[in-house]
Parts: sequence; C-alpha cells; structure tokens
Amino acid sequence: MIWRSFESEWVKLRRRRLWYGSYIAITGVVLLTTIVTIAGALHHADDRGDLTLAQLAHATGLSQGLMQSGVLLGAVSFSIAAFQFGGEFSHGTLRNLLVRQPRRSVLMTGKCLAVLTFLVGAVLVATMVGLCAAFAMAHLRSVPTGAWTSGVGMGDLGIVLGDLAISTCGFAIIGMIAGVLLRSSVIAIAAGLAVLLPVETIITDAVPGAARWLPAQLLEAIAQGGSTGASFRAALITMSAYLAGAVVIAMFVFVRRDVTA
Amino acid sequence: MHAAALATEPVTRAIRQRTDYYAVVTRGLTKRFGKRLAVDGLDLVIPAGSISGFVGQNGAGKTTTIRMLLGLIRPTAGRGTVLGHPLGRSRAYLPRVGALIEGPTFYPALSGRENMIVLARLSGIENRRVDAALERVGLGARGLDPFRTYSLGMRQRLGIAAALLPGPELLVLDEPTNGLDPQGIAEIRAMLRSFADEGMTVFVSSHLLSEIQQICEHLVVIETGRLLFQGGVEELLAARAPELIVRTENPNHAKRLLQLVTGTGRSARIVGDNQSTILEVLADCSWAGDLNRLAMENGITLVHLAERRSTLEEAFFEITRSSAKQAIQGSDPACAAGGSDGGTKAWSEKAGRP
Repeated sequence: MIWRSFESEWVKLRRRRLWYGSYIAITGVVLLTTIVTIAGALHHADDRGDLTLAQLAHATGLSQGLMQSGVLLGAVSFSIAAFQFGGEFSHGTLRNLLVRQPRRSVLMTGKCLAVLTFLVGAVLVATMVGLCAAFAMAHLRSVPTGAWTSGVGMGDLGIVLGDLAISTCGFAIIGMIAGVLLRSSVIAIAAGLAVLLPVETIITDAVPGAARWLPAQLLEAIAQGGSTGASFRAALITMSAYLAGAVVIAMFVFVRRDVTA
Repeated sequence: MHAAALATEPVTRAIRQRTDYYAVVTRGLTKRFGKRLAVDGLDLVIPAGSISGFVGQNGAGKTTTIRMLLGLIRPTAGRGTVLGHPLGRSRAYLPRVGALIEGPTFYPALSGRENMIVLARLSGIENRRVDAALERVGLGARGLDPFRTYSLGMRQRLGIAAALLPGPELLVLDEPTNGLDPQGIAEIRAMLRSFADEGMTVFVSSHLLSEIQQICEHLVVIETGRLLFQGGVEELLAARAPELIVRTENPNHAKRLLQLVTGTGRSARIVGDNQSTILEVLADCSWAGDLNRLAMENGITLVHLAERRSTLEEAFFEITRSSAKQAIQGSDPACAAGGSDGGTKAWSEKAGRP
C-alpha cells in the first residue's frame, strides 16, 4: 500500500521541470558554498578562526564546503516538500488521491518517503558536482588534495554526506508538515522560510542558548556535525523528538480533518 | 486493454449483484460546519443500476453530500451504506467507486495520461486500463499533452476517465457538464447513457435540469441540505397537472374562450398581456377534442392546440419555491426510491398547481 503511494508520488516527482529545477537549485547551493568556502580560505590563521588553506589540505578539507551548505540546502528542501504537500490542497488534487487511496496515513507515508528519496538523490548528485568543484578550486588555490582521497578523507566525506542527508530530510519533513497543516504551498513556504531563517536567527542572537532548541539551528548543527550552539548528539536527539511529535500531530490532523479543498 | 474490455468488468459485477439492493442509502445524514448546517438529516436512496440526478441550488449541500459518500468529509450525524458497506468504511467500497468531484482537478504540468497514472498507481491499476479509459472518453490522441493545455471539455473528459479507472460499479459525477458547450454536453450525456447501459449506477449532480431530465430515471432534489423530493423523474413530471396550450386568431377570441372554459369548471388563464392570444388550460390531452369543439361551436378559430409537457425546470422551481420544505418521502427506503404512491401523492398535493 505504501509502495503504491510512493510510486504514485514519483510519477509527479519525475516531471522534467520539477526534477531539473530542484536538482539544479540544490546543486547550485552546494556549488556556491564549496566555491565560496575554498575561495575564501585564508593563507594564515586569524583571530576569528576562519578556515585556512592549511586546514583545507587536511583529510577533512574536501567536505568543508559541503558542511556549510546545510541551511541553504534545508531551505530548498523545505520549499520543495511544502510545495509537494501544500500543492495537493491548493490544486484540489488531494480529493482525487483520497478517493483512490482512502487510507490517509498510507498515502501520507508513501508521499513522504518519495519526497525524501527525491531530495536525498538530489543531495547525492549535488555532492558529486560539489566535489568536482572542490578539486578544481583546490587546484586554483594550490591546495594539495592528496589527503582528501585517503581513507580518512573518504570516511569523513561519508559522515558529512550522511549528516547533510539527515539535515535535509529534517527540513523536508518540516516542509511537509507545514504543507499539511497550512493546506497551501504558498503560505507554507512563506511562513516556514520566514520562521526558519530570519526569525530563528534573530532569536538565536537575542536569546543565549536558543540554538539548542530551535529547529533550523539544530538541523544546521546536524549538517555541520555539531556547532557551538549544540552538539551533534544533542541536536539529533532533540530534533528527532521534535519531528516525531510533529509527524504524529500532522498525521492525526491529516487523517481526521475534512477534505473540503 | 480495449475500451470495450474495460466496460465488461462492471457489467459482470453489476449483473452478479443486480439484486434488490440500493447503491447508496443514507439515514439522517447530517453535516454541520460550525453553526452552518450544510446537510440536514438526508435520507437518500439511490437504486442500483440507475442514472440518478442530484439537483439543488448552489450551496444546497450537493457537494458536501457527495464528499460524505466518498469518505472525504465525516458526517456530523447519521449513517448510511454505499455498495452495501457502511459510510465509515470507505476503504471497503471506494475501490468500486469512480468519482469526479467539483470539477476536474489535476496537476497542470503533467500530461493527461501521467495524471491518470498518478491515480492508477495508488490503486494498483495497470497502465493499459489508463489507456483504455482515455480511449473511452475520446482523449487517446491527446493523452500525452500537458493537462494545462486542455480545453474545459477535455478536462471534464479526463475527470470522467479518471473516474472510470477502477471499472466502477458506482460512478459519482459532480457537475460533469459545467462550462461545456452544447456539443460537449451532448457527448457527456451519451457517455453517461452508455455507462448505465453497461450496468453502472450513475449518480450525477448538475445545474442543467434539462440534461438531468433527458438522461436520469431517478431524481433527488435538495435545498439547504434538506431533501425535497426523490423518486422517478417521470413520476415527478406526471404529478404536475397537464396543460393544453391554445392559440386563437385574435385577443378577443382568447378572452371569450377563457370565459367558456372557466364556465365548464376548468382552470385556465391568458398568458401575457391584454392583447395575448394564448391560453393555458389545466386539462390533459383527452379534453383537447372537447376544447376544440367548444371553440368551433362558439365561432372561435384555434390556430394552435397542443398538450404542453412539464419540464423538470418548472417542477424544480415549484418544489424549491414551496414554503413547506419538508421531505416528501416516507420512512421506508423502498418507498422513497420511487414507485411509491405516497411520495408522488405528496408531491402533487404540495407542489402541484392549484
């Protein structure tokens, strides 16, 4: 049953415009952060602890750009997921789906898994392109890349990629929940991005320790393998609890609410 | 699969199940949105294998009722069955139901065929059935075009094709002719007839009463969420007093004939202003000869004499204008489904002409 819903959603996700648009946007984010990160690396360490060319030459240097893309990737993923779910209400297509699949929890789970695999695929493709860009930029800035392809370097890359995938999925799930609860892709994207980006940033700056509790800050910490605001483990646990609670609420609302759209 | 093959499944099932059961039965079906009562204690009975019309003004509660039947909206009160299964167990009957609800809504960027595949995948329906359904509604050649490029008529057809996907026993169509030109309406009408011929139960809501009159055998009329009538369309029309329409050579003859007719104890009136030559006489065609004779004996020449058949539109406006808006059916579903004298009698007493 869930597989059918998954397959059905993928028919929509495969459409060329959405596919190219999403993959190009996500790849663009990774490319941008990779290029900016390596281009901005300093020759000598400064007081602020910014990345240096010497640090880039370490085994972990390859994944530095990738790590910085967490929030931007999240914003794109959030928007795509909110569009896919909120759009069903906006277009009025949800009623067609529910007549063919009356088990609403099954429909939602299948759709959710399809969107997540779509986004994880996009992150993988973006990573490949980002890595090529990293090598090109390293060459331009004369950074030795021997350590990048070592076992340690590849292991670190795998971990960063995993963290980034978790973070992306977290943002996407929030997007889906916003789409379901707000029943409009436009409102969900506008309200969600406003809260996750500027509002959270302002609160984080204004309230000490807020980064330990705010979703976007936690997901960014996960993408970076831990941040000054929250450790990776704490962020993962807190965010998992948030998402589990939010998914249960969204599922309950989705199953119980009348479909009048 | 060929279009004809698509049609055989519902036929087989329908024949197997064409017993004395009703496709839809509701009892006291009620839906309240906050303070607004959208559907008020609706006792609905749709005979299996019929084309049933569902009419009512905008906001009468037709779409809300349809949504409740399809499990999209939870009733506030009441119960019912669809294809023998309780309303609350929509997953048991929806695989045998096709529906077009409040117009065709699909993903604009996907082709018609892709839109159908999205729905087919959900029910585990194979692609060949998608192609057969598209062929059936005449969209085979345009199936690969994006939905956004479709005309309104094509969109309605795609909606019907989507409803046909599961090979339904019950087809619920909400305003399938909305916005169509006369040609499109005629095509949809022919299509609905063919579905009924194959054994499907078709439940169709429409504002176009002339269309309903042409294709439906059974009719449900609601207003402000309450049932006003349900029964056979012919039953409803027959309940209205028959009329003879007479045209005389000049207005004076019309006035004279009016006096003569009323003198026999029959009701009659001149239609239009003082110079009108047209009379309406409450009588059936068996009195046409007497009327003609009466006119001739008094030197009145009739240039036109015909029986006027009531239209569903007239019956509808009468029934909805009536201040007493209580349901006119008995509590027995069998009576309510038509063939009940009680229902017809009540209609003729309440809504028939004085």
